[in-house]
Amino acid sequence: MAGSAADAAALAERILAQGPSSYAPWLDRGPHLDLLERRALPELRAEAWRHTNVARWYEAVLHGTVTPVSSHRVESPAEVEVVDFADPRAAELQQLRGEETYRLSAQPITALNALLLGAGAAIRVPAGSAASDPIRIVDLPAAYQRILVIIEPDARVELIEEPSTYTHRLVEVVVQPGGQLMHRRHQAASSHRECSLVAVRAESGAHYELSLLSLGSDLRRNDIVASLAGVGANVTLRGAWRLDESRHLDNQVAVHHRVPGGTSRQTYRGVAADRSRAVLNGRIEIAPGAQQSDATLNTKNLLASDAAEVYAKPELEIYANDVKCSHGATVGAIDDDAVHYFRTRGIDEHTARTLFVRGFLREAIDDLDAAQMLGLIQ
Amino acid sequence: MSLLRIEDLHVEVDGKPILVGIDLAVEAGEVHAVMGPNGSGKSTLANVLAGRPGYDVVRGSMTVDGEDVRTLSPEERSLHGLFLAFQYPIEIPGVSNMEFLKAAVDAHALGRGEEPPTAVDFVKRARVAATRLQFDPDFLKRGVNDGFSGGEKKRNEILQMLILEPRLAVLDETDSGLDIDALQVVADGINAFRANSNAVVLVTHYQRLLNYVVPDHVHVLADGRIVHSGDRRLALELEERGYGWLGG
Repeated sequence: MAGSAADAAALAERILAQGPSSYAPWLDRGPHLDLLERRALPELRAEAWRHTNVARWYEAVLHGTVTPVSSHRVESPAEVEVVDFADPRAAELQQLRGEETYRLSAQPITALNALLLGAGAAIRVPAGSAASDPIRIVDLPAAYQRILVIIEPDARVELIEEPSTYTHRLVEVVVQPGGQLMHRRHQAASSHRECSLVAVRAESGAHYELSLLSLGSDLRRNDIVASLAGVGANVTLRGAWRLDESRHLDNQVAVHHRVPGGTSRQTYRGVAADRSRAVLNGRIEIAPGAQQSDATLNTKNLLASDAAEVYAKPELEIYANDVKCSHGATVGAIDDDAVHYFRTRGIDEHTARTLFVRGFLREAIDDLDAAQMLGLIQ
Repeated sequence: MSLLRIEDLHVEVDGKPILVGIDLAVEAGEVHAVMGPNGSGKSTLANVLAGRPGYDVVRGSMTVDGEDVRTLSPEERSLHGLFLAFQYPIEIPGVSNMEFLKAAVDAHALGRGEEPPTAVDFVKRARVAATRLQFDPDFLKRGVNDGFSGGEKKRNEILQMLILEPRLAVLDETDSGLDIDALQVVADGINAFRANSNAVVLVTHYQRLLNYVVPDHVHVLADGRIVHSGDRRLALELEERGYGWLGG
């Protein structure tokens, strides 16, 4: 396969020939098969894949580069219901979810997830509960994974995705009225090629908070789509990443204000060193009638070498007239004056740069211990 | 041996001569004031001593305790006992004063071949200095100069000087932009630092600070060289008559 890109059509052919996975047979794979039959997989030059060579991911799909762990490891507090996604009960939880959080059945990459699905968990956090321990997704035993999370009204919980290896992971989250989810995604540096989609619906008065810490991998793409679907919903997204060597991280984020009175906050800090490539595409969409929406997006990036690449693009689409919306994006180098200032105090140049980068990333990190354990900061 | 000895120092910035033959000797226990009009080269002298990139020594020498510091990196100069209080201290959001100071103190301890202080001992020391410079207790948690007022930034420079205990402190316009209360606090800090074992070079445009920190010697810098030296009466005279009469 070396040198030649995997072709979308050939991949679709192959998957249709082998037939869909038998895991979680209750899952309706009809629309997904349709997409493949219509050859809807994105081609090499698709706009949404400008910064990630999708053919390199197709290669990983074709060659099955992930060796899955053997066990299903999800740790959760007693009051939280967790079932294997293959369990018929998961189908009931999917019913509880209501409508799709996002047009999943129209997404070709999600179709691959459905057709190749091998492991997953469906999680329900009962109404009014406030677990003191987090739910931990340690590992799931397949390359294609699905996690469904339903936070019932006024329930509160923390969900941690620990570093693990997959080719595609879909996380679907519904935060029902008054519920609160603190979602932590920790992504270690790796040599794998992986994509994931986090699709969130925050209903009225619900809070959804994401804290993404990432080191990038050979190819890593995070799609994050959050809808504010109920009055007074609040979505806070934070991301901090630092890439070395030739690692890659492509974050495609979209926040949809669908009803009035929602608040969204996005803060990202990225550092790209060596020959790495870091992408943040942040889109805010305010639907007609979503008055009094309040949305901000702020991304700052450091280029720590001449050969590194950073793409940072906020996009606004506003169809309501009484909204507050702001965005800012910067890309810069490590501040030489700051490094000199450190050095005049006796601090060597390497330590000075390390402290500077840590300080820079910290603005988007709320758990320094986790960031340190992951190796994001020193 | 002088604590600081500068001989025939010529410095260029971007190929343009700024200092054209400075001679200066500072002994332990002394305070020298270097005064002069804007553009005379005062800040260049301060920056070249601290090793700022882009300031090229094309001739002459500068020694601290007998060691020529020209070939030392900025951090080596610091470990050798040289301290520069910046005219415009840098803001570093996300790095707390605590981390910054601890990293500096640790580097100095290691440079002397000693164990770095424990966090508890360090915090005690930092708190004493912070109180002396009239900082709020949350000072150590705040980002380095992040959102600080002009006066706070200057007080922070003096605080760093008190904690690092250099042999030679060069204070670049530390008095500029200070109100009278802050000037008093800064002057008290400098006076507390003064000892027979160290020396201070005050780079300043105005003699105001010299009412509080009385210098042993005053030098006037004009057009890149020292054109006049005297005792503190020279500073008073400059205040009265300006720099024009010295002729440059």
